[in-house]
Amino acid sequence: MEYGMEERKIRVLVAKPGLDGHDRGALVIAQGLKDAGMEVIYTGLRQTPEQIVAAAIQEDVDCIGLSSLSGAHLELFPEVVRLLREQGADDVLVIGGGVIPQEDIPVLKEAGIAAVFTPGTSIQETVEFIRKNVRRHESDSQAPAGPVEPPEQIDHIGIAVSSIREALPFYTEQLGMRLIHEEEIADQQVRAAFLAVGESTVELLEPTSSDSPIAKFLAKRGPGIHHIAYRVRDVAARLERARKSGYALIDEAPRPGGHGKLIAFVHPKSTGGVLTEFCQRISE
Amino acid sequence: MSDFDVRYRKWEEDTEKSLQKFPERKKSFVTSSGIPVDRLYVPRGAGEEEQRAYLDKLGFPGEYPYTRGIQRTMYRGRFWTMRQYAGYGSAEETNRRFRFLLEQGQTGLSTAFDLPTQIGYDSDHPMARGEVGKVGVAISSLKDMEQLFEGIPLDRVTTSMTINAPASVLLAMYIAVGEKQGVPKEKLGGTIQNDILKEYVARGTYIFPPKPSMRLITDIFAYCSEHVPNWNTISISGYHIREAGSTAVQEVAFTLSNAIAYVQAAVDRGLDVDTFAPRLSFFFNAHNNFFEEIAKFRAARRLWAKIMRERFGAKNPKSWQLRFHTQTGGSTLTAQQPDNNIVRVTIQALAAVLGGTQSLHTNSRDEALALPTEESARIALRTQQIIAYESGVADTVDPLGGSYYVEYLTDEIERRALEYIEKIDEMGGAVQAVELGYMQQEIREAAYRTQMAVESGEEVVVGLNAFRVEDEPQPELLRVDPNLGKIRAEQLAELRAGRSQRDVEEKLAALKRAAEGTDNLMPYILDAVRVYATLGEICDVLRSVFGEYRPSHW
Repeated sequence: MEYGMEERKIRVLVAKPGLDGHDRGALVIAQGLKDAGMEVIYTGLRQTPEQIVAAAIQEDVDCIGLSSLSGAHLELFPEVVRLLREQGADDVLVIGGGVIPQEDIPVLKEAGIAAVFTPGTSIQETVEFIRKNVRRHESDSQAPAGPVEPPEQIDHIGIAVSSIREALPFYTEQLGMRLIHEEEIADQQVRAAFLAVGESTVELLEPTSSDSPIAKFLAKRGPGIHHIAYRVRDVAARLERARKSGYALIDEAPRPGGHGKLIAFVHPKSTGGVLTEFCQRISE
Repeated sequence: MSDFDVRYRKWEEDTEKSLQKFPERKKSFVTSSGIPVDRLYVPRGAGEEEQRAYLDKLGFPGEYPYTRGIQRTMYRGRFWTMRQYAGYGSAEETNRRFRFLLEQGQTGLSTAFDLPTQIGYDSDHPMARGEVGKVGVAISSLKDMEQLFEGIPLDRVTTSMTINAPASVLLAMYIAVGEKQGVPKEKLGGTIQNDILKEYVARGTYIFPPKPSMRLITDIFAYCSEHVPNWNTISISGYHIREAGSTAVQEVAFTLSNAIAYVQAAVDRGLDVDTFAPRLSFFFNAHNNFFEEIAKFRAARRLWAKIMRERFGAKNPKSWQLRFHTQTGGSTLTAQQPDNNIVRVTIQALAAVLGGTQSLHTNSRDEALALPTEESARIALRTQQIIAYESGVADTVDPLGGSYYVEYLTDEIERRALEYIEKIDEMGGAVQAVELGYMQQEIREAAYRTQMAVESGEEVVVGLNAFRVEDEPQPELLRVDPNLGKIRAEQLAELRAGRSQRDVEEKLAALKRAAEGTDNLMPYILDAVRVYATLGEICDVLRSVFGEYRPSHW
């Protein structure tokens, strides 16, 4: 079967840190990378390093291209790398360009900028560098292992709501589903209500802070289905298979999900827009 | 006598008269072989049809439609103003560079501000991080402005300031420095760029959305026409549009479309076109395609004269005249073999002079690498001086007028630019075209085409995709003190502690009320500046009323 088998495109964030308004180079490069088959996101002008890193993580990019012609590169480029490391996203390739004196290049490289492209660099050079150096090698995406069993069942469906209290009556009173329990999951900044339907559950997810992933989801797409979790026998094997097939993983390894579950998420960017969870019961 | 002869004689007589007031540089001009050089060469003795076309399309210098120049004698009277853009680091450092340039024979000042200043942030604002003093001088309060012009009498120089979104504030500071020096504002001369539309299109230092920005601009037009009569209230700029990648035709078209929007906004506000139009000025680029560039300047002049006379019904000939500053093309310079850039700059500067510029900035050879060193800045200025004093091109008016090729290119640029202008008119004008992202898209496509042509080798850039050398030596570069941000933060803390907070709050509150109403904001800004309210504080007040511009296109 060929579903979802196409190679994942290299994703690049082209970013303008600082106040510099010279975006000709950034825009030309963005277009050039697009024409070379990459997916390109451009931040627009006046981005702080914090905003750039947040965008890179949210967009799950493989590479960040920083552009500055105002002389602020020594202060701003290394800060982007530092923040990426701090947030555990240091597998993102960071490159830079602009009006940058030769003698600054070793300093930037020392700080973790993989390459610096000064005026006169061809788009082709940049494309080749990115292809060669992004971590997620396209060559990894070999044919997947043979046939695979379907998941045992849908473990649960996560639904993002602004307010559990307001959403609940539809499920309990209209559909007659049973509320199993409610809990606050602090590290996800979310409150969850679990409703039983046969062997599966529906989880209503309400954000407890504006930084919560659910809050961001609501802001971007409004209330609705947030993710679908499939119950599988072996999360690690599923994850490895997905990784080899070139799907974008949110979790590189299975992690405990509470209630005796081992879980891992696959990024919606590569699954046709559905945040997908693998879920394995390790104890009853 | 033919119509041509009559008008030519009249022009000669009028010019003779004007010479009593504005004499030429020399009694007579001759070539190195002693051949006399006339003020002007015209198609005398040509056929009737040719002469009629001449009168229609070219006319005489100093007369409608100004194709051959806006003054009768052009550079035989006075050379263009040599105005090198300078500014970096602190006000003290830039003050030293200003004095150096004046000592070297520069005839006007041109101030580069750092990005925080251009975007209305004080040096200690979090967004200013890494940018303080980098691309220009950091100015946060009147105190900095006093230091910037220390020892430079403002009645003896003209000053151009590359400032757009917060132009009112910097102009107010300049007026206040004049007051302290005892120079009344009626005597101040200079230019503020004040061209917000091209910031949205190409340059990026916008603050407020288009509508309140247009109000700030028309406030300046109205205020200056009454109080600062010698001030150029706007410098409508094609420079940055070209740097962003446009063609020469687009540069003319988009600049004049923007200009039309400003004039229309002021007219809609009830200003009589002839009260403010004579103070409009323009700013163009000069790239390498020599004859096209010359033709571009001539075409722009003719187009503008027609627009002002026919479209806006301006009656004052000064309103018809397109006066412009030129800067050579930064994006044409290469980081490779930087000394080659001196030659590029020479060709470009020559095009500007042959195109009849009123003032000129020649780029320094090291601008693709960093801010210019003092030595590079001197060579750039010397380039202009050599063109002026040694080449002889300034000895006759519009020496290329009548060249079949140049006139053909002039006609073509005018025709093609007009097509764009009409298209933008159909969209509802420049403000709408900017909001739709139309100009941005056109420029981006042109920039990409250029890049592709260079990468394929179809377009040769010497030293870059041809004639390269290995192992280039690295030139000396200018460095801005990396601690400047910290030093500036301390200075600002000191300033805020030493001024009357009550005065500041009072003036800012008055400004806020005015911004919410319809009063001209200039007097309120001037009041706030005088009590040392900072640029950032003033802009924050305006942000709170006007909001901030967020581009929706890229």
